[in-house]
Amino acid sequence: MSTTKRAPVDGLAVRLDQVAVRYDASTPLFSGIDLKLKPGSFSFLTGPSGAGKSSLLKLLYLALKPAAGEVTLFDRPVSRLDRDGLAALRRRVGVVFQEFRLLEHLTIYENAALPLRILDRKESSYRADVEDLLAWVGLGDRLHARPETLSGGEQQRVAIARAVVTQPDLLIADEPTGNVDADMGSRLMRLFIELNRRRGTTVLIATHDLGLVRQMEAPVFRLADGALTEDREFAVPGKAARRRTDAVRLSA
Amino acid sequence: MRQRNAETPLLPVKDAREAALFFVVAALCFLAGLAALTARATYGAASSWTSEVEGELTVSLSGADWVQAETAHALIASEPSVAGARLIPKSEIDALLAPNFGSRGLPDSLPVPKLIAVTARPGAQDLGIRLARILKTQGYTAAVDEHAVWAGDVRRALGLLRIGAFAIVGLLAATAIAVIAFATQAALLARRDIVDVLHLSGARDRFIATLFERRFWEMGLKAGLAGALVALGGVALVGLIAASNARSGLLPEIELGLIDGLILIVTPIAAALVARLSARWTVLGALKAQV
Repeated sequence: MSTTKRAPVDGLAVRLDQVAVRYDASTPLFSGIDLKLKPGSFSFLTGPSGAGKSSLLKLLYLALKPAAGEVTLFDRPVSRLDRDGLAALRRRVGVVFQEFRLLEHLTIYENAALPLRILDRKESSYRADVEDLLAWVGLGDRLHARPETLSGGEQQRVAIARAVVTQPDLLIADEPTGNVDADMGSRLMRLFIELNRRRGTTVLIATHDLGLVRQMEAPVFRLADGALTEDREFAVPGKAARRRTDAVRLSA
Repeated sequence: MRQRNAETPLLPVKDAREAALFFVVAALCFLAGLAALTARATYGAASSWTSEVEGELTVSLSGADWVQAETAHALIASEPSVAGARLIPKSEIDALLAPNFGSRGLPDSLPVPKLIAVTARPGAQDLGIRLARILKTQGYTAAVDEHAVWAGDVRRALGLLRIGAFAIVGLLAATAIAVIAFATQAALLARRDIVDVLHLSGARDRFIATLFERRFWEMGLKAGLAGALVALGGVALVGLIAASNARSGLLPEIELGLIDGLILIVTPIAAALVARLSARWTVLGALKAQV
């Protein structure tokens, strides 16, 4: 996979100002949420099930409109963008969905290459990169298999490959290691770290895997009871934490 | 270097719903093609028939013997607006009435009117009224049947037929639009997973709409072609039946010409365009409802 560094974006990568999400007329899922992610930051999002983590991520990958407040990505207030502007912004965001969302009639290779096909790139220009990426996630020998023939973990790896294949500016992952073993979880984390360190990709990972969170020197946001707070329990800056991060990288 | 297959279409190729939609669009195109072809053929046949009879008049003389009829014939033939006049001989009248009175001819005692077939010069005005007046002043009891009067009625009926045919074609087109819009909605719902992934991966609305447009364009073209071919077969069958019953005069003679060929070519293209535009509007409308 090519890892050419792009020019850093100005200002914040993600900014939520007093954002609320409401699915019906009753109590909002959450409201008054503020969040600021700097370009090139690596963060986790935790919280109990049903707290609204997936909804918060949906706001960031532009699948949901806030009931109140403003979502700003790369200094662009989302509410002011037209349809083409929204599509252009989505192309800068890679998403690993919790439920994978692979297209069953496409091969593994075609699923991973889908964002490049949307960009109307010539297949010959990306074939090698996509094959390398799939080999890297351990699926180099399954390029022409259909998703239905893969295990949950393998499907998750395809979903991750699809999310990172365009080397997005922002990577959002919803439980990306939930269906893989510890070794593959470490490999995938290494991929995220590599994207973050070498390309400056802003990464936000929602997870219940506190073990994974503890291995990383990264801010942890906790969404619970309708409020988003930075979880100080995991904020252990310093050499020890950095060593743990290196351990993750080396074990991959 | 690894050999790769051609890219798989982003929308799955096979969809059971599309077979049903294909049938519906083909049936609509068949009906539209049939309506257009039948209306055109009927209009063309009746139009040439009415133009043939429009300059014709029939003068019926009551209580006149053959000598008086000859005099009336000479009188009519001398009229400047008359191109030709023919006193219909008794043998022809006998033949005309043979189905009712038998082949032995009519008895002389039967007061059958004498008939004079008149052909008017082109552009002759009110010839029927004038002939009736002339014959009356000469003491004849005559009735003048001007074919143009009821040929005009036929023309007006044909005009209504044409409007009716256009209305039917328009209604069928509107039905096709509604059916395809409904089918596109159903296809969108069925392929929600694909649309969502494309949408969230940054595909523009036009990109997604084009996928459905292409699919429905191809379907419309194929279904339209099938419908048009069946309509052609239907019209050809009606033409054959009409030709075999030509002597009865009940069915107009139907011939397929250049315009009919154009109708058959245009039908599938129109169906494909309707399908494409309908799919486009439906998809863009549905996507606009999303973030």
